[in-house]
Order: sequence, then C-alpha cells, then structure tokens
Amino acid sequence: MSQFKKLLIEPLRKANPITVLVLGICSCLAVTAQLKPALVMGASVTVVTALSNLIISLLRKGIPARIRIIVQLVVVATLVILVDQFLKAFVYDVSKQLSVFVGLIITNCIVMGRLEAFAMSHKPWESFLDGLGNGLGYSLILVIVAFSRELFGSGTLFGYQVVPQSFYEAGYQNNGLMILPPMALVVVGVIIWINNSKTESK
Amino acid sequence: MKKDINSNGYIFLYATVLVVVVAALLTGAVLWFHPYQERNEKNEKRIHILRAAGIPDVNKDNAAKLFEQHCTASFLLDENGNATEDGTLPLFVIDRRISVIPMQGSGLWGPISGYLAIDGDGSTIVGANFDHKSETPGLGGEITTEKFQSQFSGKQIMKNGQLVPIEFDAITGATKTSNGVKEMIDKTLESYARFFEKLKP
Repeated sequence: MSQFKKLLIEPLRKANPITVLVLGICSCLAVTAQLKPALVMGASVTVVTALSNLIISLLRKGIPARIRIIVQLVVVATLVILVDQFLKAFVYDVSKQLSVFVGLIITNCIVMGRLEAFAMSHKPWESFLDGLGNGLGYSLILVIVAFSRELFGSGTLFGYQVVPQSFYEAGYQNNGLMILPPMALVVVGVIIWINNSKTESK
Repeated sequence: MKKDINSNGYIFLYATVLVVVVAALLTGAVLWFHPYQERNEKNEKRIHILRAAGIPDVNKDNAAKLFEQHCTASFLLDENGNATEDGTLPLFVIDRRISVIPMQGSGLWGPISGYLAIDGDGSTIVGANFDHKSETPGLGGEITTEKFQSQFSGKQIMKNGQLVPIEFDAITGATKTSNGVKEMIDKTLESYARFFEKLKP
C-alpha cells in the first residue's frame, strides 16, 4: 500500500477518530438522530479538516510556536464561517437543518487534534490527505450511528418510511430511546466494541 | 538573513497580519454571499406563508410566482385590529379570504417561529407552519414536519367571540419545545383577537 493511500485509508478503521481516538463524540451524539443532517455534517467536517490541515501545513514553518494554537484556531474558525455562509447562500434548507452544529465544528476535537498531531510536522499534500481521511472516518461512524438511530427510532431512512405500516398494526413500536442522545452513546460504544475485538485479535 | 520566529516582534507582526488578512477575507465573503442569503430568506418566508394557507406543491422554485398569484394583499394592523401605516402586526391575505399571520416564540435552545392561516370567518385554523433555529433534530425539530403541522387544520380558535386556548398533541421528548409552540400560538392569537372579531359574519 502506498504511503498516500495509507493516510487516506487508515483513519477509516484502524485509526478512526471516533472509535479509536475517541474524539468528536459530542457532535456525534447531537446530529445523528437522522441520516441527512449526519451526512451533511460529515461532509462539512471533512472539508474543514482537509482544508485547515492543508493551510496549516503550508504555514507551518512560519508559525511562531508560542501562538500556534491561536493561529490554528483562527484558520479553523475562518473556514467554518466560510462553510456556514456558503451553505446559507446555496443550500439553504440543509444549512437550516444543521443550524448550530456547523458553528460547533470549530470546537470539534478532531480538527484541532489533526492540526497539532499531523499538519504541524508534515508536508501539505500528506496533511491534506490525512485531513480528508479523518473527516471520512468521522463521517463513516456518523452515518452508521444515524442509520441505526433513524431506522429504530423513527422507522424511516432519509425521512422516508421503511418500516412497513403492517408492522405497526401488528404491534411494533418505534424505540423512543433511540432518538434521545444517550442511545447514540450506546451505539458508539457497541461500534467501538466490535472494532476493538476485531483489531486486537490480529 | 533569517529572522527569529520566536521573537516578540515577529509574533506581534505575524498575529497582526493574520488577523487583518482573515478579517478582509471574511468581510469579502459575507458581502459576496449576502444577496444570495437574503433571496433565500425571502423565498423561504413566501414558501411558509403559502404552505400555511394550504396552497399545494409549493417548492423553492415556484414560490415567487405562486406568491404573486395568491397573495392579494398585505398590511399592518394596530392592536385594535385596524389597518394602519404604523401598525406592528403584519398580515398577509391569501386568495382574498385566508389571513396568514406570523408568530414568534421560544423553544428549548433558541427562537421558534411560524405562520398561522385563519379562515375568512376568523374562527378556524386553515393550516400552520413552524420553523426553528436550533431545536434538536428528531425531537423539538419535529415541529417542522408535516405530521405535526397538519393536526392544526380545522381547529377552532374563537367560540362565541371568545378566544379558545389551542390544544394539540405535543412531541414526546420535546416538552419545552411543545410548550413553546403553545405559548407562541396563544400569545399571537391574543394580539390579533380584535381583528378576528371583526371578521365574524
């Protein structure tokens, strides 16, 4: 496997930001009640991590060590505001669904974590791929959690009903606990469990 | 000549340049995006008014045209229910019959808003439409769904010239948002009550 491919693939499972590094849990609980916002949130975070990694990596030799966190924060905040304004201007309905969560990307630990751990010491192209990979790893978990929560919590996927009406008539009920945030934590826990049991045995 | 990148002078210079560049960038972006965002917001308002009034198949592409067709008048009311220039209560008339009024209230995390369409006799709700800034998706956020909104159609708001408090099925797990919706509707109807009394045949 080439080095570049590894940067992109590894964060999907082996070094997944949510299940292995346990970062970004907070937004994972908040936006995963339904599939669509989870997907857009994943895409937004991917764009922000990839671009901020790229920019910080380009600037890394000139950034004074004592204010590096502030510089990183300014770059991330700028990107997030741009993404937010862009969504508001061109995909208004989606931006309304995500509302505050786009602004909260600034506080997502994955973004800052990758900047400190990777972009400050690697070349731009590698950093860009690392950001992209981590964003995708984050999105993957978000989609899995949102899929199970929307399916069992509301009986729908992307807002379309998938649990047939006859099930409800036979006494099936949506699990109300699934749409509450605590259940996201349990689902994430189960994913981490499966992930760990598979990777450790190797 | 290599400059020490950890000297105080350099740090101050770096921070200043960075902030100025970012500020210029953001200002430019906001100015450039603003017309698009304003158009979206205006369009969204029209969609909500039309949907509340029960116009079928409204989407973001045909909203402007349908609004032109259906909205026959719009004016401001004062608290006595008379149309005046300096009134504070806006009202949109759809198809010469239905009055659509905007509502504002607060949910759990932030503001909620909506439109209520009242029939020509001033006593029955034709339809309602809600929107929110930051309610939880899947819980409070459910107030924007068809399922929640459709239950308002046909509800009585006036009986024998008296306002009737609104009753509806709240959302499980979103008590604060549901209470916010009720409060918002009751408060708004109270301020428009004089106007609806006049509509009574």
